[in-house]
Amino acid sequence: MKNIITIVIRLTVSCLLAASIMGLCFIFTSNAKKHNEHVQEQRVIYDLLGYKNGAKIPDSLALHEVYRYVISGGDRQSIGYLVPQGHGKGFFFVNIDLNGGLLASKTVALGDTEALDPKTRDKAIEQAAGPGYTVKFADQTIVVTNNGKRIAYLLGGKFQGFKTFVNVMLAVDPEFTILGLAVLEHEEDPGLGAEIVQDYFKNQFKGKAFEALKTIEVVKAPIPTEYLEALNGRVSEEASGKLREQYKDKAIYALTGATISSKAVAEGVKGIVTKFAYRLNVLDKILQEQQLAVSF
Amino acid sequence: MANDKSSMQLITRGILSENPIFKLALSMCPAVGISTTVMNGFMLGIAVLFVQVFSSVTISTFKNVIHPRIRIPTYTLTIATWVTVIDLVLAAYLPEAYAKMGIFVKLIVAFAIITMRLEMFACKEPVKDSFWDGLGMGLGFMIGMMVIGFVRELLGSGAIFGFDVLGFKPLLFFILPSAGFFVVGLMMAFFNWIEVYYKRSKGLK
Repeated sequence: MKNIITIVIRLTVSCLLAASIMGLCFIFTSNAKKHNEHVQEQRVIYDLLGYKNGAKIPDSLALHEVYRYVISGGDRQSIGYLVPQGHGKGFFFVNIDLNGGLLASKTVALGDTEALDPKTRDKAIEQAAGPGYTVKFADQTIVVTNNGKRIAYLLGGKFQGFKTFVNVMLAVDPEFTILGLAVLEHEEDPGLGAEIVQDYFKNQFKGKAFEALKTIEVVKAPIPTEYLEALNGRVSEEASGKLREQYKDKAIYALTGATISSKAVAEGVKGIVTKFAYRLNVLDKILQEQQLAVSF
Repeated sequence: MANDKSSMQLITRGILSENPIFKLALSMCPAVGISTTVMNGFMLGIAVLFVQVFSSVTISTFKNVIHPRIRIPTYTLTIATWVTVIDLVLAAYLPEAYAKMGIFVKLIVAFAIITMRLEMFACKEPVKDSFWDGLGMGLGFMIGMMVIGFVRELLGSGAIFGFDVLGFKPLLFFILPSAGFFVVGLMMAFFNWIEVYYKRSKGLK
């Protein structure tokens, strides 16, 4: 009996000790970690927009975050958007049913930093949606404007890869031509599927037009040497632009030994862009009809 | 228990005569799964080195207050604490390194080699010796992983440290996990052969 008590006490003490060490460490590092994640995200965003390696970002460039929520309750399901009115001016909440008809629109007083924090944002959406409805965060899109004119959309998305989910960020221009693809997170096999992060694969998506993307296919063939050099960035910007133009309607060349991963990425990108194009049309129509003064 | 080995001997023992991968055959799962490139092996090796040294020192310091009946849970707890601390600190202050090492650091909690060194060495020996033993074992693991990674990267993707040296990919098979077993097995045989040969040439038994 005495033995059991000493064991229990010692184990409890060591657990408490370990927990307090980990807790303290977490408290000291959490701010720095959040900051790093934010910096990383910003870097990916500007990389996709073509401002690589600390190139100067013009002041006229502005990012506007649009959050999409799935709102369900009672017998209906709808999509709620949180659209910014401009920096520090609060947001509009636009509730759209599945057929594209407007259910409700109202202003939401929410600070910019409050909107970044998922907890306060979810709460504000819950209030705006009204009682009896549950809200679920779906995704966020960033609208990029230059001098008030839309120049690009940044789309986040997740899809099934060969093993687990692949988390990507896409940049598309207002005609939905792909500007760039960044793989944020994946667990594909090293040396095979993990090659999706390599320039020679992901840069193939760059410049693919929306019409071509709708029917995009993956072919099992070696990449032509000339094109490969351009994808790896070993030729001048002018020459690679020419090649991109030449290949913009062509299929994606699969990775050696990782056809499934390649297909998954191509299908995933296609899905993200086509769904977004449809949703944006619906949202834009509603915004125009209701004369809502959004920031983009 | 007194230990008659010097710090240098403790380190070389971890690297050569008791190499965790080739001699003790411990932690084979990461050795097979992750050692696809030299860089991967190096990253995991560094992470294991830190956790091994910190855990060995901690257990050695507290060896007199650890109840023998609950020593294994205590080891696991110690390792988990250090892994968490290293993970958090890396993520906060070295984001570049963390982006590459992050996935490896979290794996270390379940490594047999660390628990085994705590059980065999750190819980009996003084703090100083435990530190050197941990360092030796960590280095031995790191070198082992890098050697395997070297072979697999060269044969599998025709590159070393990510630089294309061959210009083509000789055998894609070497990238796959199953090839890890072949490489580890063949290298084990190779090192044993060297040892036998060396002992014979010296006239030892």
